[in-house]
Amino acid sequence: MSADNQATGLLHLSAGSRAAFVTLLIGALCLTIEPFAPWMVSWSAAWQLPLTDWVGTSLTWLLDSIKPAARAFSAFMNYPMNWANQLLVGTPWPIIIGVVTALGWYLGGITMAALGLIGLSFVLASGYWVEGMNTLALIAVSVPLALILGGLLGILANEQPRIRSALQTVLDVMQTVPTFAYLTPILLLFGFGPVVGLIASAIYAAPPMARNVMLGLERVDSEVKEAAVMSGGTRFQQLFQVEIPSARTQIMVGVNQSLMAGLSMVIIAAVIGGFNDIGWEVLLTMRKAQFGQALLAGSVIVVFAVIIDRMSATLATERKHYDHRVTFGILLITALGALLFWSKVPNPSDISLLNPVAAFVDSEMSEFIRTNGAWLESFKNSAVYYVLLPLRIGLDDAVLTFTWGMNWTASMSYWLFAGSAIVGGLLALRGQVTAGLLVIIFVGVLETGIAELPWLFVLVATAALAWVASGARLAIVSTGLLLTILVSGLWDRALLSLYLSGAAVLACAVLGGLLGLLCAVSPLAWKIIRPICDMLQTIPLFVFLIPVLMIFQIGEFSALLAIIAYAIVPMIRYTRHGLINTPDDLIEAAIANGATKAQILRDVRAPYAAPTILVGLNQTILFAFAMLVIAALIGTTGLGQSIYLALGKADVGLGISAGAAMAILAMIADRIVQGFAKERRIALGLQ
Amino acid sequence: MTEVNTSIITCQNLWQVFGTNADTALSDALSQSEGNSDTAATLLRDKGFIPAVQDVTMSVGVGELFVIMGLSGSGKSTLVRCMSQLLPSTTGDILIEGENVVSASKKRLIELRRHKMGMVFQHFGLFPHMSVLENVAYPLKVKGVGSKQRRSRAAEVITLVGLEGREDSFPRELSGGQRQRVGIARSLSVNPDIWFLDEPFSALDPLIRRQLQDEFLKLQATLNKTIVFITHDINEALKLADRIAIMRDGKIVQIGTPTDIVLNPVDDYVREFSNDVAKGQHAKVSSVMLSGENPTTAEDPGLTTTMTLDTALARCVNLYNPVPVRDETGNIVGNVRPADLATALQAEDL
Ligand SMILES: Nc1ncnc2c1ncn2[C@@H]1O[C@H](COP(=O)(O)OP(=O)(O)OP(=O)(O)O)[C@@H](O)[C@H]1O
Ligand SMILES: [Mg+2]
Repeated sequence: MSADNQATGLLHLSAGSRAAFVTLLIGALCLTIEPFAPWMVSWSAAWQLPLTDWVGTSLTWLLDSIKPAARAFSAFMNYPMNWANQLLVGTPWPIIIGVVTALGWYLGGITMAALGLIGLSFVLASGYWVEGMNTLALIAVSVPLALILGGLLGILANEQPRIRSALQTVLDVMQTVPTFAYLTPILLLFGFGPVVGLIASAIYAAPPMARNVMLGLERVDSEVKEAAVMSGGTRFQQLFQVEIPSARTQIMVGVNQSLMAGLSMVIIAAVIGGFNDIGWEVLLTMRKAQFGQALLAGSVIVVFAVIIDRMSATLATERKHYDHRVTFGILLITALGALLFWSKVPNPSDISLLNPVAAFVDSEMSEFIRTNGAWLESFKNSAVYYVLLPLRIGLDDAVLTFTWGMNWTASMSYWLFAGSAIVGGLLALRGQVTAGLLVIIFVGVLETGIAELPWLFVLVATAALAWVASGARLAIVSTGLLLTILVSGLWDRALLSLYLSGAAVLACAVLGGLLGLLCAVSPLAWKIIRPICDMLQTIPLFVFLIPVLMIFQIGEFSALLAIIAYAIVPMIRYTRHGLINTPDDLIEAAIANGATKAQILRDVRAPYAAPTILVGLNQTILFAFAMLVIAALIGTTGLGQSIYLALGKADVGLGISAGAAMAILAMIADRIVQGFAKERRIALGLQ
Repeated sequence: MTEVNTSIITCQNLWQVFGTNADTALSDALSQSEGNSDTAATLLRDKGFIPAVQDVTMSVGVGELFVIMGLSGSGKSTLVRCMSQLLPSTTGDILIEGENVVSASKKRLIELRRHKMGMVFQHFGLFPHMSVLENVAYPLKVKGVGSKQRRSRAAEVITLVGLEGREDSFPRELSGGQRQRVGIARSLSVNPDIWFLDEPFSALDPLIRRQLQDEFLKLQATLNKTIVFITHDINEALKLADRIAIMRDGKIVQIGTPTDIVLNPVDDYVREFSNDVAKGQHAKVSSVMLSGENPTTAEDPGLTTTMTLDTALARCVNLYNPVPVRDETGNIVGNVRPADLATALQAEDL
């Protein structure tokens, strides 16, 4: 290669390499001038705008002005809530169990009937019947509300294309705003009490319904719509007699998702307190460190989630008809039994068959901790000292005699950088310029620590990533949004959140990727892992906290584990799905060319699966952000903690600003990863 | 050839352009090209618009069976969608019985659809959640016809298309051909005057297809419906059509009787369509007859105007001079040069 060629070769670096190069330069610049210009590294407090206060003041004003209406509404909502409550709590438990079992049969035959019977019997035996019914009563009011609201919005968006894109944006944002952030303004508006949970749940559960209604109506075959028009139907007839019934399956998916979202939010809203529901029971027992009981109450939540999910999921499938006589039979037996034993039915609160189990769990647990405490502790400590802390505050601060047996010195930094430069240079020489640059950048980040990264570097790196992923527009928008976080004074907390979710996502990507790979190559592994994934996806976020808390106590490490447990599922699923679903002709072509199984995996399946895996990664990131806030309950720092604290102090300004900051981070990550996924799909000719 | 007396559907300078803000783009393009529609269409295509129907002017007569042919994507379905106002056309007028439907109110359109128009869709467009009977009865239901009457009328048309016994099946349980027949039955349930059919027989096997075609001709003869019929099958078109319009890239390149299309194609594109037609079996002697002139020869092989070219040629194998042609009543109406018969048959091989 001539010198001339080499010179132009540098100019013709790929977009990725150029972006990485600029990022590296800025990083190096920040590192060199750090000692002289501390403002380059940490944003000066003098440059902060009291954004949080402004948001607080204007929101408080706004909320105050609509407060009377809200209060009236909440007073009004008390009626249906009380009715639902009295109905569910007042009805003798055998009748409720009988009705749910009959419903199970009607919807899904013997499996669903058994699920209802066994599940509710468990709830009864756990001694949390009343609390459970209280929770159900909330859902019984909030979800129908959400379905109506979401359904109307979806139909409206379908009818008015101009509303459509606006609504789509609102729904997108709502999906990224963390659950707790909803609660603070609702709390201010509607006052304490179960009604807050009710309304929060109704608001939170409406978007999935709206989305699915929109999607379902949009997907109705255009000729079916036209046939309705040509039949001479009015718009109303077209919509309600043809389009909505045709979209039934998709709408039922919406009902299912709405129910699950509503349940999840009702449980989370228990944080506000003031209502004797099952979420509150979990919180209470967790705070009292009665883990046996917490686990029991948590299991009740899981049982509800599974029953509601599986039963409503049958609505979205091709319905089979189960013998109605059985349905009526079950109802009849229930009614007869209830009549005969009316006075003898024991009070559900007196039933506590499973208390011994809880006690057993508690004693076993303390036994387990006593015998295994030492290695658990050291496991946790090594994770914290050797992985989490360096990621957070950097090798330069995390490497101490006390933990690592040595102190970090400047010369170590030099050696580290020199080493990374050599590796990077070698990679670049082999043609992988971007990878080489990334190695050096990665080492730089590790040395500094995510929470202590210079703001300039973060801005430039994000802009560069966004630019490579999707173009100038995203780069500009991302930078602008990050700047608002920067000037609002939430920057440090945002970095802390970034660090913790980053650590969790990294772990999920590696672990979930490997598990996905395992499931792709071994059907047996998938058989085992699949139900676990299903389970993890059904369980309301809250419940994840119990087991980690039992074993590892309050702290960042427990929070991290909870986040990983929740966010790993999409990574596993999508990795497997992507690897499995390579088109047959590609595989056959590879086999015909004599490729081994491993070669096919590496050279055909993996590249083809890349876009799908990226979508999984994207989901994992969003899941991690969602859980981050919940994990604030058991000790994290950062935005999640602020949102949680704001809730306690009813500080809307902080709550909403921190929630918005969180949503911004999630959205930027979402768009960047989606940009890469799209780019891969286009590269593979899939789009 | 059916004489077009009164036209029931008329399209005037009809354009359908797909793309955002297509109407301004179209008027820009038209003014830029000084009204030349071909230039305007090219301009639009260059800008990424799709002129699916391009400056179409035509009319369909009362009781006429009008067939539209053309390659895939040439705009046949779009043209018919404009006529039925499923798509608001970009510019141009559409008159149905003299009434301009482009400016008709929603209410008026609903009325027209309930009483005047029926349509069969290319991909059936059956309502998946309704049984066969409910599908067929649906146009009656929206009109407010009572349930008993609805059922009996629906059963009637279901029998007409030969689907009796499948009333309670759902579309997903039917074969493609059966589904298409449900679509046909549904469009017939309100007994429309104007009937739009978008490739109605494409999913049927040849036997049923021929049966339905015959059924179709009978229907038209008795009910005197006006039919706009899209097909890919030239033989079907020749069999059914009073007139055929051939479309290409959104434009109608030729309108004419089946014989016209086969014998006098305006260009190679049209010629291509009739290439695989055994012309002699479709074109009639009248198409090559010179009217009025009395033949000078005594030979009379007994040709009539409605005789196909094949038969006529067979009778004139050794003849070179013009021979007389008679109409149904036996009067001599003109003459034919046997050489013309042969030329007409070989036109496709040029
Ligand atoms: N809703 C639409 N939006 C954009 N373009 C469309 C739309 N409908 C049709 N087109 C385009 O208009 C052109 C004509 O389509 P049309 O469906 O009328 O073709 P066709 O002649 O019926 O073809 P086929 O024989 O395959 O049914 C095609 O290029 C098609 O892509
Ligand atoms: Mg078509």
